[in-house]
Amino acid sequence: MPVFKTPFNGYSVKFSPFYEDRLAVATAQNFGILGNGRLHVLSLSPNPSQPFTEIAAYDTADGVYDVAWSESHDSLLVAAVADGSVKLYDTALPPTSNPIRSLREHTREVHSADYNPLRRDSFLTSSWDDTVKLWTLDRPSSLRTFKEHSYCVYSAVWNPRHADVFASASGDCTLRVWDVREPSSTMVFPPHELEVLTCDWNKYDDCIIATASVDKSIKVWDVRSFRVPIAVMNGHGYAVRKVRFSPHVRNLMVSCSYDMTVCVWDFMVEDALVSRYDHHTEFAVGVDMSVLVEGLMASTGWDELVYVWQHGTDPRAP
Amino acid sequence: MATQSPTQNQNQGAESAEPAANVDQQGATEEPVKQSSTPLVFVNSEPMREEQVQNAVKFLSHPKVKGSPVMYRRSFLERKGLTKEEIDEAFRRVPDSAPTVQTGGVTQDGQVKSSSNIQQQAQPQALQPGLPASAGVNTSSATLSRSRFHWSHALIAIGVLAASGAGTAIVVKNSILPRLKSWIRKVVVEEDDEELKKLDRKPTLVEEAAQAAKSAAAAAADVAKASQDMLISKEEERKHFVEVVSLLDMQVQEMKSMTNALRRIEDLRVTQTNTKQLIVNGKADYDLHSVRSTSPPVSYEPPSSLHPKSYMEPWEVSQVQNSSTQVPHAQGNGEYLNSKVQDSTQSNGDGDDALPWWQRKNARIREIGNETEYNGNGSSYGVASNQPPPQRTWVPPQPPPIAMAEAAEAIRRPKPAAQKDQMSDTQSVGNSSDVSDEVTRIPRRSESEGAVEGGSSSSIPSTVEIQEDQELRRE
Repeated sequence: MPVFKTPFNGYSVKFSPFYEDRLAVATAQNFGILGNGRLHVLSLSPNPSQPFTEIAAYDTADGVYDVAWSESHDSLLVAAVADGSVKLYDTALPPTSNPIRSLREHTREVHSADYNPLRRDSFLTSSWDDTVKLWTLDRPSSLRTFKEHSYCVYSAVWNPRHADVFASASGDCTLRVWDVREPSSTMVFPPHELEVLTCDWNKYDDCIIATASVDKSIKVWDVRSFRVPIAVMNGHGYAVRKVRFSPHVRNLMVSCSYDMTVCVWDFMVEDALVSRYDHHTEFAVGVDMSVLVEGLMASTGWDELVYVWQHGTDPRAP
Repeated sequence: MATQSPTQNQNQGAESAEPAANVDQQGATEEPVKQSSTPLVFVNSEPMREEQVQNAVKFLSHPKVKGSPVMYRRSFLERKGLTKEEIDEAFRRVPDSAPTVQTGGVTQDGQVKSSSNIQQQAQPQALQPGLPASAGVNTSSATLSRSRFHWSHALIAIGVLAASGAGTAIVVKNSILPRLKSWIRKVVVEEDDEELKKLDRKPTLVEEAAQAAKSAAAAAADVAKASQDMLISKEEERKHFVEVVSLLDMQVQEMKSMTNALRRIEDLRVTQTNTKQLIVNGKADYDLHSVRSTSPPVSYEPPSSLHPKSYMEPWEVSQVQNSSTQVPHAQGNGEYLNSKVQDSTQSNGDGDDALPWWQRKNARIREIGNETEYNGNGSSYGVASNQPPPQRTWVPPQPPPIAMAEAAEAIRRPKPAAQKDQMSDTQSVGNSSDVSDEVTRIPRRSESEGAVEGGSSSSIPSTVEIQEDQELRRE
């Protein structure tokens, strides 16, 4: 299985929705605390001697915490940078003209970026300044700012079935569900007693959302009856950093955690843990499942490595 | 997914911001028309919980809370699980604190006003019985309002304290002081008695001297008696000794006579041989008795053999139960391990093929943990292998330690490493453009959205896309 060594500590990895063999990696120097950042665009090659080819790499003045592929252009990327700016990159253009745009509105680090998969013209960024901002590619300023959280917003994710609905997970221990057409959030509830670090919608059931928190647990909720979770999955030894539902299997989800493992869960089964991969030697902070290739997943961590492997195989096997 | 978005775009203007808090719970059933169900599903459709609202009102009325920023109060209530409507209702009931965000919730005016009126009426009623003289005043309205009753509570407490103080004073006067006095008196009386006893002891000295003389005379008399007894006993012992000597003389004489008789009997020994046979028969009877004593211990053995068998049964039963429960676990683990082994073996087999090595695993991961399907999917591999160009050789990638050394250097010198990467990036960009021209596959989307102007379909090669990007830049 191919392994890519990044010069900086990895923060996020995303598969391209256009190309099966392409993925983007967001990295930051010195574990993202201080220093530069770099955005890698990698391509998986059939050549076994060089499984990864780096299509592009863009340096930033501060760490890159998250990256999102555009759903409208196959070469566009949105980078969430730790200095509060949102940068747009185009891999089809020469590196001297990149970034094609730098959007400065957040007052603190931008922690996540997510592109709308249905409308394909807008994207969300969430920041440590307690706000979520809505942008489109053609405008230099944000369309809307959603300011209701009272602490850092760690993640904002679009609903894959409803084009105007998104959820935001915040350090104030609440999850909010928003509708872009509404002036304020439509739902708010506390999924965990501690900070909620990540959330993701189920790709097959539009009302099911998963949240994961510093309390080491992953909970799956139905937003129509949010008092009691559908499933609670314990098994990680430390805070769970990221959670992603599988685009191919209804009940499958993958999570990565500070206990250096990547776990795959089936939340409809009593014994939910399907498999556990402990290939990382540092915090595993980024994980993604490919939309185009079933079972293909990628993970990155602070050990500066990016792994791409098939579910069921050993990521470290050659 | 592509066909849903245009219909949703059309209906966006038609839908207004409908407050769906009081609308029926239609989100449970999936409606065929998804546009109208969107606001209903993603809104909390629970009724308001009055208890939670009251707790929130108490929280917001606290003086410490009133000094904190409004944002913190809201976030605290949200963290406790209150819905937006409940929080808004609580803010409405506590008029001093103003909510920061305008809400679109429907206001239940009639119920709100009636509840607030009840609270206002309870407060003046509580003031009248607020002057308690004794603790026995029952204020039924005291349960309704909270803040006004601090005064009456304080007065009641003072009265109770005064009464208790008076009671303790009375009790002390009546019972404790007399006890103290009696105890003091007892001590004094004891001291007087001790003094009297000391005076009585003095005139007895003379009497003691006379008594000592008398005892000495008695002792002398006892000694004289003892010596006389000793003399008498000695005389008796002498008499006994003389008697013993005389007896011994008698026995000697008898012995002499016996020896004389024995000599006479020896002559007659030959005729007395019959007496020996009688002695031998007496010894044979003792042997028969010893044989019977050994039989009773033999009979104890059979019951002891039964006990070990009875102990075995429950032990065996429990062992059988344990083994039966462990078997399915072992089977389950075995299946899981088998599946993993099959995965690894199949992955090794796939190393032969090239380009979409990650595509080959598609058919396998249909149902996880189902062994039967693996065998079925083996046939699909043969079908898929026809498409890509075959490359049999597959060399493993470079080992990680080498890569780590590069990374270590890169970390120590980030800037020169970055420059080097930029040089390599320019080369790689040139390579990627060649690759993109060769790629003829069409991305999934056949229709384009409003963001991309013109009727450009994605089948056009990359040159047109570059023109579009330049247009975006100009904008």
